[in-house]
Amino acid sequence: MSPACVFPLAIVMLGVPALLQAQDRRLTDRLDRATAAGVHQLMDSAKATGLPTEPLVQKALEGSTLGADSERIQMAVASLLGQLGRAREALGGDANEAELTTAAGALRAGLPPGALRRLQSLRSGRPLVVPIAVLTDLVAEGVPPEQATQSVLQLARDGGSDDEFVALRRRTQMERRGRPPGPTDRPALQPAADPPVDR
Amino acid sequence: MPVERDDGIRDELLQRVVTELRRPVRLDPSVDARALREIRRLGAAGRPRPAQRPLWLAGAALAASLLLAVLLRSSGDIPVSRVASTIVAPDASTRPVRLRLASPASSRVAVVGDFNDWDPGATPLRPTEEQGVWTVELQLRPGRYHYTFLIDGRRWERDPSEPRANASDFGAPMSVLTVS
Amino acid sequence: MMSDSDAALVARTLDGELEAFSILMARYRDAFGRYAFHMLGNREDAQEAMQDSFVRAYRALGDCRQPDRFGAWLLRIVVNRCLTMRGRLKREQQFGADLPDQLPAGGEAPDSFEWRDEIARALGRLRPHYREAFLLRYVEGLEYAEMSRMTGAKEAALRMRVKRAGDQLRELLRDVHAG
Repeated sequence: MSPACVFPLAIVMLGVPALLQAQDRRLTDRLDRATAAGVHQLMDSAKATGLPTEPLVQKALEGSTLGADSERIQMAVASLLGQLGRAREALGGDANEAELTTAAGALRAGLPPGALRRLQSLRSGRPLVVPIAVLTDLVAEGVPPEQATQSVLQLARDGGSDDEFVALRRRTQMERRGRPPGPTDRPALQPAADPPVDR
Repeated sequence: MPVERDDGIRDELLQRVVTELRRPVRLDPSVDARALREIRRLGAAGRPRPAQRPLWLAGAALAASLLLAVLLRSSGDIPVSRVASTIVAPDASTRPVRLRLASPASSRVAVVGDFNDWDPGATPLRPTEEQGVWTVELQLRPGRYHYTFLIDGRRWERDPSEPRANASDFGAPMSVLTVS
Repeated sequence: MMSDSDAALVARTLDGELEAFSILMARYRDAFGRYAFHMLGNREDAQEAMQDSFVRAYRALGDCRQPDRFGAWLLRIVVNRCLTMRGRLKREQQFGADLPDQLPAGGEAPDSFEWRDEIARALGRLRPHYREAFLLRYVEGLEYAEMSRMTGAKEAALRMRVKRAGDQLRELLRDVHAG
């Protein structure tokens, strides 16, 4: 006999709790109650300020999988929330979730908000995820932030496509790892002639 | 009053047991393929039957929606579709991304990251014809994803072909990929 | 990263689009596979239960009155399927922790496989009705009213089963926990 998904109204009146909290089941399934509650509170703060919550969920799940304790997970999520807020201050309210998340990573890497604003201005409404990502990756590769910023801004000023930003990162990696770039490659990093970026 | 999932569990031992039992359990994705084969094998006899709806049940629709909101612990803000995974079926907004890892001494490789809720069982890599090389293809929407490989269920390893993530929060080697 | 709702996928399935049902299966396979795994004690039986449940769900999809609540409707099918299959379980030795379950923390070695194995064995020693009630209540997080509808048992009986399951697990695992 096949079950049906219908429930008598009387049972509803008896059993429904007074308040249904918005809880992400992924968190309640995988975190202990205190940690899940702490992360949900941070998500509530994000929602209240119009910031995306999915990056916070992913950060908590990352911590859970990697065996982090409750305090460390909550600190990481709180830190990310702060970075998302600063990313929105830098890029403005029209930035989408992917741009905010990528920008948060850039700020965490020590890049100044002014660099992101300048990049946004040079891109003239074009997507920002790849340029910001490449900028962050260059710093992670060991390129000094000012030098990485100037190279990325120069490429943005030249109207570089996403593929060209990716190529910039690849050339930089090759040069820093001691492999010679190809004959058609131009040097990955060039000193810019422009004034220093606002901080 | 918030719904308490652990009401009645007062001792630490049972709390630990429940925490353990709530860990994700990953089944072989071939379960779905086998079900589909069975459905196809049944042919017309297997197709969904028309609904049989006694009239008196029509009024229970509202009751069903309320109870199931309790059951699934979700609000209108959190779609049920996110319960399982953020990996989605290919569509116009997704891009194919292939991950590869050379790990000759491994018997099992999986990837965890922002694209699969960091679920160790969600995305196993499969061995390729090239000895010791593992691979998986993902369909990802534009964005930036942190991830790492799990080798034989015992150690984490970053993807040497992608940029290193800038300082992992939790101490594991981490890579990051960007989908445009 | 939004994907189609359950209701949309059910509607597409009823229109003849089998691919839509594939997405539903992928969406719920592991969520409810966990229940089947703990109920039946091993991955192979859990996979068979999920496969059978999916076929039954597909065939009865026209009876799902609230397609946006497909998940709960499917869980009821899974619960019933596991009850039917439990008679096939012959030995509690089928209950044991699968590898790999324990994950290293940030690069450290796993250290509690034995604990997970003891839990699995203790669970296997419970009567099936006690195990079912405990899993539905504390792992799936259902209210007793919903459990009553799924299992056909009265709420009072379910509360008793949950309590006894907890008492027995506590007794079986006391020495392991203290050790």
